[in-house]
Amino acid sequence: MAGEFIENQADEVPFSYVIAELLASNLDQNPHKMRTFQKIYGVVAIDLPDIEAAVTLIFSGGKLKILKGIVGKPDLIIRTESDKVIGLNSISVKFGLPYYFDEAGLTVLKQLARGEIKIEGMLAHPIILTRLTKIMSVM
Amino acid sequence: MAKFKAMTQEWLDAYKAAIEADPEYKPMAKDWEGSVALVCNPDPSKGVPETIYIFMDYWHGDVGEFLVCDKAKAESATFVMTGDYSRWKQVALKELDSTKALLQGKLKMRGDLPYVVRNIKTVNKVIDILGNVDTLWPDEM
Repeated sequence: MAGEFIENQADEVPFSYVIAELLASNLDQNPHKMRTFQKIYGVVAIDLPDIEAAVTLIFSGGKLKILKGIVGKPDLIIRTESDKVIGLNSISVKFGLPYYFDEAGLTVLKQLARGEIKIEGMLAHPIILTRLTKIMSVM
Repeated sequence: MAKFKAMTQEWLDAYKAAIEADPEYKPMAKDWEGSVALVCNPDPSKGVPETIYIFMDYWHGDVGEFLVCDKAKAESATFVMTGDYSRWKQVALKELDSTKALLQGKLKMRGDLPYVVRNIKTVNKVIDILGNVDTLWPDEM
């Protein structure tokens, strides 16, 4: 079970359980995503100001620790509203890369352009972002 | 227009009819497989003295059984969503986004979460239709 690779220390943040469950189920259902998961080293924060919830995801080569709040200096900070964050999981992956030219991808691109989704560090850490998208995509 | 008391069999029948009558639902739900149970936690102060269990069967755009049921039947559903009465009412009245409720822990879900996310449009559609059912809420009677 992929869940054993995830340590959720953000018990008070219900959103953390959704992330953990989504990732664990995704890895169980798509074993090829485990290879990508094992390659991720980096820190990603997800901040949902509208529900006053934030978590920090610490990836260390096949393990994930989830902490409450924004901890330290993450490589990426994804900041958006709670009803838009789920859309990020709908980005397809084609030829090993996120695909932004279908309906779900274009929606995310528009939200990025309008500032409805902000990703700090995306230019400095494109590989972490690509790998994160691949393991979290449900498509 | 008739009003239906929330979470009764008559209300569920009206909800099922509203889904069947919606021209956008069937094509949108063509890939959906699986029953959904709603569990409404009791809140005697709001006129809900006991837990209410609801079972709804959805299959590739068709709708099957829509029943007020017992706990065992509800727990047999592919997806089980649980929440307090006031949360369900807020969702039905579109005062609370169901995704937001899930992320805040106001609603809890058991089932294949990636599948639900993949089919989020279908989920949002049936919730949207729920808002169209003319409902008498127990705490307003």
